[in-house]
Amino acid sequence: MIGQELSETGKRLFRDFPILRMLWESGRKRGIRETIDIVEKAEEFNRTFAVPRALELDMRMEREPEYFDWEIMREACKYRFLSIFIPKQLGGIAGEFMVTNTSLLMDELCSGCSGIALAVGAHSLGVAPVITSGAMAHWDTVLKEIVEGELKRQPVTMAYAITEPSAGTDVEEPEYLERAKLSLEAKKVKGGYVLNGRKCFISDGSEAKYFTVCAALDRNRPLQTWTTFLVERDMEGFSTPRVELKMGQRASHAAELLFEDVFVPDSHVLGYEGDGMGNGILMIMAASRGPVGSIATGIARGALQHFLAWARTKRNGKRPIDEDRIRMNLADMWGMVQENRGLYMNNAMLGDAIFGKALDNPIMNLTLGLPSSLRTMSLMRNFLNSYYGKAMINAVLRYYLRDEDMTQLLETASLAKFSCADNAMELCSRALNLMGPEDSEERRWVEKCYRDAKLTQIYEGTNQLNRLVVNNIRFEETLRVEVPRPFKKGVMA
Amino acid sequence: MIGEPWAKESKQYAVLRSNALNFASAELAPVADDLENTVDSPLLWKAVERAGEMGMLAALVPEQLGGEGVDLYSLCVALEESAVECAGFAAALLFHNAALLSMGYVERKDLVEEFTKGRPLCTVATAGEVSLGEGRLQGRAPFVFNVLEGTVALLFASSGDGRTAAYVRTGTEGVETHIDPYPLGWRVSNFATLEMKGAEPVYVLDKSGKEALEATERTLYLGLAAIANGIVRKSFQKAYDYARQRYQAGKIIIEHQAMRLMLARMLCAMEEGRAIIRRACGIEELGPAVIAWRGAVANSYGAHRDAVQIHGGYGYMRDYGMERLMRDAKYCQMFPRPEEEQLLRLLDMAERGA
Ligand SMILES: Cc1cc2nc3c(=O)[nH]c(=O)nc-3n(C[C@H](O)[C@H](O)[C@H](O)COP(=O)(O)OP(=O)(O)OC[C@H]3O[C@@H](n4cnc5c(N)ncnc54)[C@H](O)[C@@H]3O)c2cc1C
Repeated sequence: MIGQELSETGKRLFRDFPILRMLWESGRKRGIRETIDIVEKAEEFNRTFAVPRALELDMRMEREPEYFDWEIMREACKYRFLSIFIPKQLGGIAGEFMVTNTSLLMDELCSGCSGIALAVGAHSLGVAPVITSGAMAHWDTVLKEIVEGELKRQPVTMAYAITEPSAGTDVEEPEYLERAKLSLEAKKVKGGYVLNGRKCFISDGSEAKYFTVCAALDRNRPLQTWTTFLVERDMEGFSTPRVELKMGQRASHAAELLFEDVFVPDSHVLGYEGDGMGNGILMIMAASRGPVGSIATGIARGALQHFLAWARTKRNGKRPIDEDRIRMNLADMWGMVQENRGLYMNNAMLGDAIFGKALDNPIMNLTLGLPSSLRTMSLMRNFLNSYYGKAMINAVLRYYLRDEDMTQLLETASLAKFSCADNAMELCSRALNLMGPEDSEERRWVEKCYRDAKLTQIYEGTNQLNRLVVNNIRFEETLRVEVPRPFKKGVMA
Repeated sequence: MIGEPWAKESKQYAVLRSNALNFASAELAPVADDLENTVDSPLLWKAVERAGEMGMLAALVPEQLGGEGVDLYSLCVALEESAVECAGFAAALLFHNAALLSMGYVERKDLVEEFTKGRPLCTVATAGEVSLGEGRLQGRAPFVFNVLEGTVALLFASSGDGRTAAYVRTGTEGVETHIDPYPLGWRVSNFATLEMKGAEPVYVLDKSGKEALEATERTLYLGLAAIANGIVRKSFQKAYDYARQRYQAGKIIIEHQAMRLMLARMLCAMEEGRAIIRRACGIEELGPAVIAWRGAVANSYGAHRDAVQIHGGYGYMRDYGMERLMRDAKYCQMFPRPEEEQLLRLLDMAERGA
């Protein structure tokens, strides 16, 4: 029955993720169809674009770390990957299963090339705070520009900047942020803020047009004054002076951002002053660490596919897969991949259960259903940026986002992140040990996967931090995501 | 000093170690990044020349054949110290010395002399499938380092009547060299696959070469273990220094137990590595050498992975010198043979009482 309606990709997904089949059979066909469609697109993107150029590009980036292959972003436009997080009402493709789709997209893309996938995915990380903060005033400008650019295949991209040279782990956890040594500071001035300092290691930082940037208003009270800003590349005093030569995932840049007296207007505060941790980072991490788990899983799966191809090829008159030990290793590796998928899907499904309601409800639909010309009128824009305007949107979003849910989401995300990353490293390392000294193309691929996988243990909070997060939520109950409520004292400026 | 194994060595080795360390600090440390970026760089040949002056180019060959005639542990000491600064250079030295050792065994004084001069180094190929028939070589030998025109490689080839070995010279008729421009690690020397299309060997090591091959293999395993241990030491040094100056979560990160445990494991790895290599060097058999290699490279994998982790994002970036360790160390584990294959062979050897 199912078989007749489904593409090969659909069948594969149902086999690998029975939960998708369950949703399909219990009446969520429309949403699951979208999920399958996105994975099919990712497969095509890999087959026709990413895989043929991945090794060559990786090598080129080593010689020319400043180079960026804009074809990646143009091709991503073709498949609409740049608006995976943007609600449909705004022209994007975020469907019923937005987080699941993002996770599966990253799993699939990373099985081809995680560097190319990161270039695509880091953009959505930059987009996410614009959505979750409810900064509706920018939905019809920035998000619309992204969508329109995408349709014309003229990519407009974003990046997410929280890490600073002396504060990496510190900016990912409230307790640590309180004691962080920060470089960037945003001073309140008339009509806005002036930003001075640096951010580092920002993925897509040297290409993005817009940045969501977290900065303290007072470096001595970082947690209380941590605020998310929307920064535009052409703002005076803003530059990206340096990109790093990374060990892996090279197709995307990790850039330094330099702020020299950058004036950012009041209208560009996302959310409220001082809610950059609860409303900003923790919410984003709760939604993005799961997809980082899926990045690790994709890398592992890519390594496994290459290893399998190697195992099936005759060498010295025999195929490695004919040996029991290779077969058993293959089963182990598949076990690791599926264990990972279980973990990141837990996070994704929970994410969709939570965000689905927040973004798809009568009030939101009504607001987003208004003609965009109405929302972009200056009167309306001013209202949306005002104290009461923000409070109104916030009230709607927050009605659906409960502290307990967001806390649980963060726990599942952190668990997926570190477990998937560790498994990916182990799988790639083991595959190389089994292949040994080989001059095959497959070995080169797995070596790349090995370099790529290491990054997943580091970014989006190191694996150590993520372990602490899981403990602090699950066993000690010392970490709790507090979703800011509108009009809550001490949150709004 | 922290980061040095507790186990003390006899004076002879201690002096050698200190000389080798001085060599590595003076000649390799300043150029290690350049060596990694430029294959066949003049800087490499300058370092090779200095290594030659210190007797590292024909370390294991008996004196009467023009070598230094030192024991295997001495070579391991030199390799470990070199690997602290540049594992790729140490690997180049190892392959060269292993090949030269076999030349000594089969009394090819001419080859020993030729390759004690420096460029090109000679090398060893342990993988792939090469057959010898009617005096000609056919097949492919992958994962060969030190490859330049005129390099002589010792091939562990298989022929009709079992395993045999031969020397082959690159750049001669019937030997094609396919350079891999992008190896994971050990970037210092050319990394290539040699394709034999009816090549005439320089010399065939027939049954009398069996001993030479075993000695060569033993040298490879223990040398790789020593290089892996050098990488562990460097990993520890860099990670320990970094952990004492990086602040995060209100304290220097060395105060976090997760970091301390990683560092402590590196200490264990160093100590264990040193001990198992020393022990295996004292037993003239292949089995203990394989076991030492297995232990040392597995420890080293954990150590460099954790050392990168301690550096956080900085560990992942070329400019901070950690990621090279991670790439180099992996090749110590993938070479000369896949670990599981080697384990099975170990049991076979034990059953045969070898
Ligand atoms: C390629 C790349 C891309 C990146 N992209 C982005 C991006 O797009 N945007 C962005 O904002 N950031 C980005 N980052 C930054 C990344 O999130 C940070 O590198 C990461 O959070 C770790 O911070 P750090 O590098 O400062 O390490 P540190 O925080 O300095 O950590 C060093 C070591 O100390 C350990 N440690 C720290 N605190 C504790 C503790 N309390 N207990 C135990 N151990 C502890 C860590 O686990 C780690 O092992 C990127 C990083 C890389 C490498």
